[in-house]
Amino acid sequence: MADRADLLQGTLDLLILKTLVLGPLHGWAISKRLRQLSDDVLEVGQGSLYPALYRLEDRGWIRAEWGTSPEAGGRRAKFYSLTADGRKHYAAERSQWRLFSTAVERVLKAT
Amino acid sequence: MHQSIRRTLRRIRALTHRNTLEQELDEEVRLHVALEAAELARLHNLSPDDARRRALVAFGGVERYKEAHRDARGVRWLDELQQDIRYAARALGRSPTFTLSAIAILALGIGACTAVFSVVDAVVISHLPYPHDDRLIQIYERNSPTNQWPLSVADFQAIEQWQRTFTDVGLLRQADVPVATGGEPQRMSAGYATSGLFRALGVAPVVGRALGPADDAPGAPPVAVVTHRFAVDHLGGDYAAVGRSVDVDGVAYSVVGVLDQRYTDLGGRKGDVWPDARLAPPQRRGPFGMVVIARLKDGVTIDDAARDLARISRREFVVWQASFQDHEATLVPLSLRRVMLGDAPKTLILFSAAVVLVMLIAIANVAGLMLVRAAGRWREVSLRAVLGATRARIARLLVTESVMVSLAGAAVGVALGILGVRVLVAVGPRVARLAEAHVHVRAILFAVALALVAGIIIGAYPVVHLARGGAGGGVLGGERSVGGTRRTQALRAAFVVAEFALALPLLAAAALLLNSFVRLQRVNPGFDPSHVITMSVSLPSGRYSPINGRDTAIATYWTRALNNVRTVPGVVAAGLADQLPLSRDNLDENNFDLLDRPVPAGTAQPVTPWTVVTSDYFTALGVRLLSGRMFTPTDTGGQNPVLIVSQSWAHKYFPDGTAIGRKMVSGGCTSCPPVMIIGIVSDVTYTNLGDLPEGAYEPLTEGWGRTLALVVRTRGDPAAAIPGVSAALRSVEPSVTIADATPMAERLSASIADPRHAASLVAGFALVAALLAAIGIFGTLSYTVSMRRREIGVRLALGAKRQAVTGMIVRRGMAHAALGAALGLVAALIATRWLRSKLFEVSPADPLTLGAVIVGLLIVALAASWAPARRAAAIDPAEAIRAEASG
Repeated sequence: MADRADLLQGTLDLLILKTLVLGPLHGWAISKRLRQLSDDVLEVGQGSLYPALYRLEDRGWIRAEWGTSPEAGGRRAKFYSLTADGRKHYAAERSQWRLFSTAVERVLKAT
Repeated sequence: MHQSIRRTLRRIRALTHRNTLEQELDEEVRLHVALEAAELARLHNLSPDDARRRALVAFGGVERYKEAHRDARGVRWLDELQQDIRYAARALGRSPTFTLSAIAILALGIGACTAVFSVVDAVVISHLPYPHDDRLIQIYERNSPTNQWPLSVADFQAIEQWQRTFTDVGLLRQADVPVATGGEPQRMSAGYATSGLFRALGVAPVVGRALGPADDAPGAPPVAVVTHRFAVDHLGGDYAAVGRSVDVDGVAYSVVGVLDQRYTDLGGRKGDVWPDARLAPPQRRGPFGMVVIARLKDGVTIDDAARDLARISRREFVVWQASFQDHEATLVPLSLRRVMLGDAPKTLILFSAAVVLVMLIAIANVAGLMLVRAAGRWREVSLRAVLGATRARIARLLVTESVMVSLAGAAVGVALGILGVRVLVAVGPRVARLAEAHVHVRAILFAVALALVAGIIIGAYPVVHLARGGAGGGVLGGERSVGGTRRTQALRAAFVVAEFALALPLLAAAALLLNSFVRLQRVNPGFDPSHVITMSVSLPSGRYSPINGRDTAIATYWTRALNNVRTVPGVVAAGLADQLPLSRDNLDENNFDLLDRPVPAGTAQPVTPWTVVTSDYFTALGVRLLSGRMFTPTDTGGQNPVLIVSQSWAHKYFPDGTAIGRKMVSGGCTSCPPVMIIGIVSDVTYTNLGDLPEGAYEPLTEGWGRTLALVVRTRGDPAAAIPGVSAALRSVEPSVTIADATPMAERLSASIADPRHAASLVAGFALVAALLAAIGIFGTLSYTVSMRRREIGVRLALGAKRQAVTGMIVRRGMAHAALGAALGLVAALIATRWLRSKLFEVSPADPLTLGAVIVGLLIVALAASWAPARRAAAIDPAEAIRAEASG
């Protein structure tokens, strides 16, 4: 696991929102998507994924609905999707993040 | 805004649907693990079991994750509360003795408080059952700050005619009269009322109508309103009642309305039937005794009303000057609420103070027990602290425990309170609306609030100790290091001292009241109550109404009836009077003016209890002639009216002993011939026992009333004579009604029922207080002995005498008790002064009573210290030291 990065505090919310931009996913799919998109670098501690999902739901950025998951053989799964608020929030967070990471990068590049 | 509402709703759902959410969460987790396992199995070619294990490991602890999730849901406190309650219940269940005694002690305190609160609630806090009861007043006549009396018809009519400050004014005259609805007449309460009474109070019948202005007019057909109870019992129900006829004291009234069942009285005066008052035009200012109730106009203050009434008083005085010379007498408005409350607040404050003391003692007691218990559990609590429980969490746990105990105490206490209210209603002070007292929602909330406060106080010390960093150190040190610290020991001692300091004033109050009651009981009422029965006898009107002012039929009946009664076997003597001794509130008094020493014109004349009697009334009651002569058949009033006075009266007005032969004008009747004093008899108390037993007697020769009191002296058991006497009365006229037939001894005892009940209730509370204080000292000393086993063992081993050990423990207990008693004495000396008005011939600081109380309390303390002290002396030194070494 040494080649895996810990998540920066506060970025998990942004990443989860990002995974949902393309469409509703259930919890496991979200974690898998995060792994894939980060080329297995980012490992979401599962213990923090679900509380995060609940928190996002509580804030009204995502909503949860029960559906059936084909990959789980038709078992019941809870699908999360972005709300309109969530989309707005995602956009705002993303630009924030870009600003922040560029700034950090610039500082690190300086010698 | 909208979002916060949505969030709140989610939180509420999280609370109310906890199980559903937990299940959903579980399902989600299981799905996750299953999918992860499948993925791992596919990627790494693992067996399903291995894959599942690795998936679980990757997940990072399902339970920890669930916990985090619950935190996010904001329901963690609820879970913890549940845990606390479960834990506290288990902990309490492990020490049932502590738990049960704490619950019992608190239940006593809370029960007493709840009962008294319910009574205070019903009597003082609740509104009268009339709209805007703060606008209602009762009008009195007053000629000095201490002397006031109800009004006359003349007063009422003057107010009705000239007032400017009331929306309505009503009159009410209460009388116990024969009431019949077809069958035999029964004695009942009639409230003769004018229509204004109903308008002023704002009382409308549930069926039919109230009395109206047309019913007040002279010559209007007689109508009456009846209570619900009366309609049900005698007229076949509310609806059947209207239109029926009720015979009230010989007059047939047709029922026009039925009151709601909550009205058993109006303006504090009980009445079964409410006939119209049919006021005759007054001939003079008196007689007085009418209740006049008015409602203030909007915007009018009671002071405005007082000025208005003062103006009416001056105007009315001129009209009736011939029959009423007291120009000091002024009409005054008093709040109806206050009038109905009467003396009740004072008695209720006494009871409240008593139960508050009991409650405080109970709290101190349980707090002491809790300290002992906390000391024994310190190791366990410390362990929890070491294992990572936060201080707040442990504090909450301890408070949860004490609050659970106190709430259990409240549950039992409310049950005790329900019983207590019944006791208070049965023996409480004579006060309006006491019968309405029940343990209502407000009282239950009160009990719960009290329990919460008590629980927090009781749990507070261990928590404070914890906050100071007490926990943690206990793990290694064991219980003794913490349980025996100087601070907790001092605190336990302080609780015991406080219990005794609180108990003493209560015991002092009880002892003073009991002492006063015993003295009251010893007061000679002026007659020999054994072998005497009294009853109230009424003739129906109609045939027995005076015709053209002549009451021949009535006089004939009484004469024949008396003769008949005298022939009943066992009857020694029988006499009639218009009132009986100890009439108290319903006393007939008369004003008089001595010819030798007339009062200055325009000032109030003296008054004295005034009883109209047949000559053998004195014989029947056992009143002795001291000088002069008794009435003879020739004392017929007319031009030479005569009077007999009591010894105290004679001494008060003629201290030189020359009362006989003196003359006076009675009842302010200046045109009547003066009355001459012909005899002095021994004192009889007409007011309250302990009051000055003055009085005057007029012979009953004319103006025979239709209702008179019969006094019969018997040879044997007085109660046994009642049937024979009743039969003799009925043999002359079958339709007489007989009420209140009781032995005189019962009447005497009933007259001091109030002080007796007050004394016994306070004594009951005081006994509970003393018992709790004793339990407190017993518990503390027992604990001390068990903590000092080793030390005592060593002392004994070194040759200490067992008596010395006993003495050491007893001294310790007595020191606490004595300090508490000393502090309590100071409090008692300050507090009991307040009892002065309730005491008879006893000073509130009576040294004998207070001394006896202190000695009594110390004896209790000694008895409670004895058992632990004996146990200390019985310690086997070898065993005590061994036990310590191995433990």
